[in-house]
Amino acid sequence: MESIISAFVRAFQSESGYDLAAVFTPIAPKHDSGRLYSFHRSTNAYSVQTDVRYALTELHMPKGESNAWVEVFVAYWKAVGEVLAAEEALNIGKNQGKSSAESADWPKVYDAWKDVLNAMHRGYSTNYFEAWTIPCLYVSGKYLRVFAIKADETLAKRKGGVAFNAGFEDDVADGEGNTEKLEDAARQINRIFSLCISDRAPLAESRKWGLYYITNLLFKTYFKLNSVSLSKNILRSLQASATDMPPLSAFPKSHQVTFNYYCGVIHFLDENYTKAEEHLTAAYNQSLASATRNVQLILTYLIPTRLLTSHVLPTPALLKPYARLQRLFAPLCTCIKRGDLGGFDAALQAGEDEFVKRRIYLTLERGRDVCLRNLFRRVYVAGGFEAPKEGQPDGERVRRSRVPVAEFGAALRVGGEKEIEGDEVECLIANLIYKNLLKGYISRAHAMVVLNKKGAFPGTGV
Amino acid sequence: MSASAQGNQNTTKAVVSDSKDSSQPLSAQKPAAQLEEDDEFEDFPVEDWPEEEELGASGAAKTHLWEESWDDDDTSDDFSAQLK
Repeated sequence: MESIISAFVRAFQSESGYDLAAVFTPIAPKHDSGRLYSFHRSTNAYSVQTDVRYALTELHMPKGESNAWVEVFVAYWKAVGEVLAAEEALNIGKNQGKSSAESADWPKVYDAWKDVLNAMHRGYSTNYFEAWTIPCLYVSGKYLRVFAIKADETLAKRKGGVAFNAGFEDDVADGEGNTEKLEDAARQINRIFSLCISDRAPLAESRKWGLYYITNLLFKTYFKLNSVSLSKNILRSLQASATDMPPLSAFPKSHQVTFNYYCGVIHFLDENYTKAEEHLTAAYNQSLASATRNVQLILTYLIPTRLLTSHVLPTPALLKPYARLQRLFAPLCTCIKRGDLGGFDAALQAGEDEFVKRRIYLTLERGRDVCLRNLFRRVYVAGGFEAPKEGQPDGERVRRSRVPVAEFGAALRVGGEKEIEGDEVECLIANLIYKNLLKGYISRAHAMVVLNKKGAFPGTGV
Repeated sequence: MSASAQGNQNTTKAVVSDSKDSSQPLSAQKPAAQLEEDDEFEDFPVEDWPEEEELGASGAAKTHLWEESWDDDDTSDDFSAQLK
């Protein structure tokens, strides 16, 4: 009891929100690994309230505020009890070869933790808790989500029963799935969002400083629930109150980067690649260089985005530190550069599962146009130059601008496309012209493609 | 709950249960590691960081991160030969 109370008192006296939040985590701190256990054993359900109330007297808080914290402590004490019970069940279950979802009662932990969140919520909605303490809301929301996911797994297991084999259980958990608790968690976190956004206090002491953290938590939850569209509602609320909010750049970098990442992905899924590029680039540039996993996730979306918006590819230097990205993208990039359509298709197929899971398959597939452009560009470059006209300075040689359709067809066949007909080749060319990847027109009478003398392949130097 | 569970296993180890209890909270850290899924954006280890620690800070490396999507290699001759 003393250790946890003194941590609380210290954080309170220094007005350090993060230290205060660290008091209410369901995981014991590294430097005091026995804290949860000793806190829980130091009192019991009957006297926890009076014990905490007595311990807090040294802070001389107003009565209402002190009562609100006591409530939080009591809810927290109960939740810690459930967490410890779950840990113990887990240890016993492990010896019997059971999974976490089977052995521990996560739904019970979830409900207990929800009480912690509610007690916190009351402290703020009654305005007893000051704005500097908002990291406490982060902690309660963060772990509510965590416990909800575990609780849903347990519920799915129970519903599935022992009759299912392992493969089938996975389907139950992922597919129609049990997301009852996670959906509830989303609602609770949304309540915290409202609590923050509706705060009318002056900015310096406003709960609005918690908005981006909570928004990020909501995004994360909605993504997990596969309801990305709900994220857009949150974005709209944020935009609506943008004028009475601090600018994003005034928030801690971790909030900014995470927010930009999710915004980028939301725009990406909406196929709004210009916006996606903006947010993802900002996220990339600001990200903590050592946070490898997050950087990989940002790049997972930034690479396909930039392929479409600017037709650029990551250099080997960019991919090098990230083995997973290298595995995902390096084969595709090599094929695109070479204009190797067959290789591109094979690489896309090889990575299909992963690409679909990350929801980048369709975007990458559109990169095929760039690959095709590069193949046709090679045909054009291989065609060489027109014989120089008289009086023309040497430096201004003109490339051969009339290329037979058959040559493009031959290039496709070299690349492994079998039995491609003249009409199909024309169709591919027409598509590139339409997409502004190639400038010129098809002269059907001569079976020729007449390319622009200048900038036949816009943006590629020829 | 713990008492009954241990009692079932071995009633004579009542004294040992204390040492087991003190080791218990250590294991409380394990689930934390499993809490985040591998394909999720994780919490940064710190809340805020100086500009030097940003990825974009190494300006020199920045220009070498992206390259044009086509290849102006010297194999054009082979290629045109193949086309024929």
